[in-house]
Amino acid sequence: MKEFNIVLAGVGGQGILLAAEVLGTAAIKEGLNVRVSELHGMAQRGGAVVSNVRIGEKVLAATVLEGHADVLLGFEPLETLRSLKFASEKALVIMSDEKIPPTELAAKMMKYPSMEEIVEKIHRFTKDVIIVEAAKLAKKAGNILAQNIVLIGALAATEKMPVKTESVMEALRELVPPKHLDINVKAFKLGYECVKKGKTKF
Amino acid sequence: MRDEKLSLKLGRSLLPNLNVLLKDSPGKRVLLLGNEAIARGILEAGIGIVTTYPGTPASEIGDSISAIARDAGIYMEYSTNEIVAVEVAGGAANCGVRALAAMKHVGLNVASDFVMTLAYAGVRGGFVIVTADDPECYSSQNEQDNRFYALLSNLPCLEPSDSQEAKDMTISAIEISEKLELPVLLRTTTRVSHTRGPVTYGRLVKPNLKGEFIKDVKRLVMVPANSRPKHPVLLRSVEKAKEISESSPYNRVVREAKDREFGIISSSSAYNYMVEAADLLGLNVGILKLGMTHPLPEKMIAKFLRKYEKIVVVEELEPYLEMQIKAIAKDYASDVDVYGKMSKQYFPREGELSTRMVAMGLAKITSRELPVNFGKVDEKFAEVARTLPARPPILCAGCPHRASLYVMKKVAGEEAVYSTDIGCYALGCAPPLRAGDMMTCMGASIGTTEGISKVIGENTFAIIGDSTFFHAGIPGLINAVYNNHKVIVAVLDNLATAMTGHQPHPGTGMTGMHTPSERILIEKVAEGCGVKYVRVVDPFKIKEAEAVLKEALARSGPSVIVFRAPCALMVVREKRRKGAEVVVCKITDKCTNCLACVKLLGCPALIVEDGKVEINEALCVACGLCVSVCPCNAIECAEMD
Repeated sequence: MKEFNIVLAGVGGQGILLAAEVLGTAAIKEGLNVRVSELHGMAQRGGAVVSNVRIGEKVLAATVLEGHADVLLGFEPLETLRSLKFASEKALVIMSDEKIPPTELAAKMMKYPSMEEIVEKIHRFTKDVIIVEAAKLAKKAGNILAQNIVLIGALAATEKMPVKTESVMEALRELVPPKHLDINVKAFKLGYECVKKGKTKF
Repeated sequence: MRDEKLSLKLGRSLLPNLNVLLKDSPGKRVLLLGNEAIARGILEAGIGIVTTYPGTPASEIGDSISAIARDAGIYMEYSTNEIVAVEVAGGAANCGVRALAAMKHVGLNVASDFVMTLAYAGVRGGFVIVTADDPECYSSQNEQDNRFYALLSNLPCLEPSDSQEAKDMTISAIEISEKLELPVLLRTTTRVSHTRGPVTYGRLVKPNLKGEFIKDVKRLVMVPANSRPKHPVLLRSVEKAKEISESSPYNRVVREAKDREFGIISSSSAYNYMVEAADLLGLNVGILKLGMTHPLPEKMIAKFLRKYEKIVVVEELEPYLEMQIKAIAKDYASDVDVYGKMSKQYFPREGELSTRMVAMGLAKITSRELPVNFGKVDEKFAEVARTLPARPPILCAGCPHRASLYVMKKVAGEEAVYSTDIGCYALGCAPPLRAGDMMTCMGASIGTTEGISKVIGENTFAIIGDSTFFHAGIPGLINAVYNNHKVIVAVLDNLATAMTGHQPHPGTGMTGMHTPSERILIEKVAEGCGVKYVRVVDPFKIKEAEAVLKEALARSGPSVIVFRAPCALMVVREKRRKGAEVVVCKITDKCTNCLACVKLLGCPALIVEDGKVEINEALCVACGLCVSVCPCNAIECAEMD
């Protein structure tokens, strides 16, 4: 593998950092070189959060170059759009349909754009889009907070997954408290199956 | 007070499982955050005492050590502020115990008074001062380049570029410190501190906490007669440090080029961007990587300068290396051209660098074509971005600061001046609350309010958090009392150092070692400082808070109002931990969609769908503030009944 870049984008509190750490830890388990960038502190408080996972022998920088992401994992539709500049032309976008309206929308009485509009904008960058009902599946797994792992499961069902499922499971066992492990494993499976069975929107 | 006992149990259970740091398995390769890698370095260096004041991007160094301190046999504390942190660690280091103090870049401003003179006195045990800089101001009020503190203080400085180096350099910094008997600066940036990368473990070294104080007035008492002769001693140490720098494994030529045209010198995160950018452009260049950046390895740099016709210096923020490299060039290689950000700006002097920025600068200098058409990507993205609503960080749903700021504005209005401080509540400067007219550094709200009050005569508020009050608020408060300034000091006490990860402070009743300690109450401190009007209110009890504020405004001297309610994040996490249901507010048929709640509070849990107000159930924590402000009594909250 020359270089593999994943951009994770969403809103503070959605479990983006854990998702990135799971992918990074899985890569380490496979003996790969990896960099995972995080954002902490003030930037996290309900604001836009972006994390990058970069895998590859020669990778040094923490952040992905514009137009060079192989995968864009969108935790929230508007935040997916905000990170589109990182997507390569062949990028795979996996996006949760769970909308979190920014407070600016309410204050200015603006409408949250429709899913059609959002997908149209993504299509300007790449045609490869999978939309996952991550919140619904996470709730089904037992906790809405497991959306992050649903999305990793969805990614694992595609050719674009840079690490093995066993490595992800190993990473989950290491990073998730034992009492929440079952929910997370279930969330992974639900995300995986929904893509495998083609039960994605659009 | 609601859930005041929460703070006692607070947070400590929230810390991640960091036992992985404690494993003595040399050769093991793990994924660590730069800050966690420094924590591992602390364990491998046998450091006995670790002090800190939390601040992004440094916080996880202290937090990691706090989580494992007992098992590791380390003493750790969250000190009241950074200067106390370096004093505690510096005192111990002068008894021969290895010590480390960690802080964010602006924390070193606070600590600098002690550090500048400790450089004269020196240390006996190794002493590392970690300064975590924040290019791009991700979580800071400025982006100062603290490498200049190394020049200013004459202290050695190491600059890691990744997690592995962060760990290794922590150990090397201790060794250098003991060799030179000087404190050593370890300077990271946000991207080093907050990037995970592979780290290969070394052996754990048992920490020693048993010190011995050797009385030595000439060395330790910096009266003029003693400090004067210490200055040349310090300067001689810099010369010795230079020799260490010349042979340091962190200063090395990582690439030689057959083509003698370009040589690049770089350090820290900039080095990472630079290597990737050079490869992107397919450049055949020599590369000198610097990890010990004070003092610089003059001879090594001179040799590198003589090898190439043109030298490019790639560094983040100030031209710290470039200035010195130009001076070295003047002495050793006067015909070499040095490109960077001084005479002509090839790289920005402000903000964070990126592979793209470095590639663009290098392309210009080397007259190459960029292989990526960034302009095209920008153009395409600009169209998408144009209609994207902003999503800046905001006060969380249920945040007690929202209630405090709302009621202050309600009582004192737009005319009053609200000087705010460093903490989550600074986010209240944004609409709709707009309660924040000035903010500079820790504790400054109180002093600036006094000056403003003196010359404008209007109502003035100092808004300051609990941890910030202990950190730097007390001298300002004493000044207000003694000089009788008419100010209202609103201490927003959410029972934690919330912004940086809910670390304990003297008002919480818990220490960094997880031992309970008697709480120091802010109201008692205020009374002790001589404030005559001190009140404690629950910010969610709007009517009571209003009455207190009106009383305070009518007074001619200073007053202190402590708005006390725990951080909403702590309350929710505690509920989740216990498996309790998080209830939410409900909007009833009485709602006329007047949008008062939305317009007054800016709560993220209040959303508007098709012109109708709705509650975002994933975010609402039933604080009930919207219930209090709704003019139609249309919002219900089970929690409040």
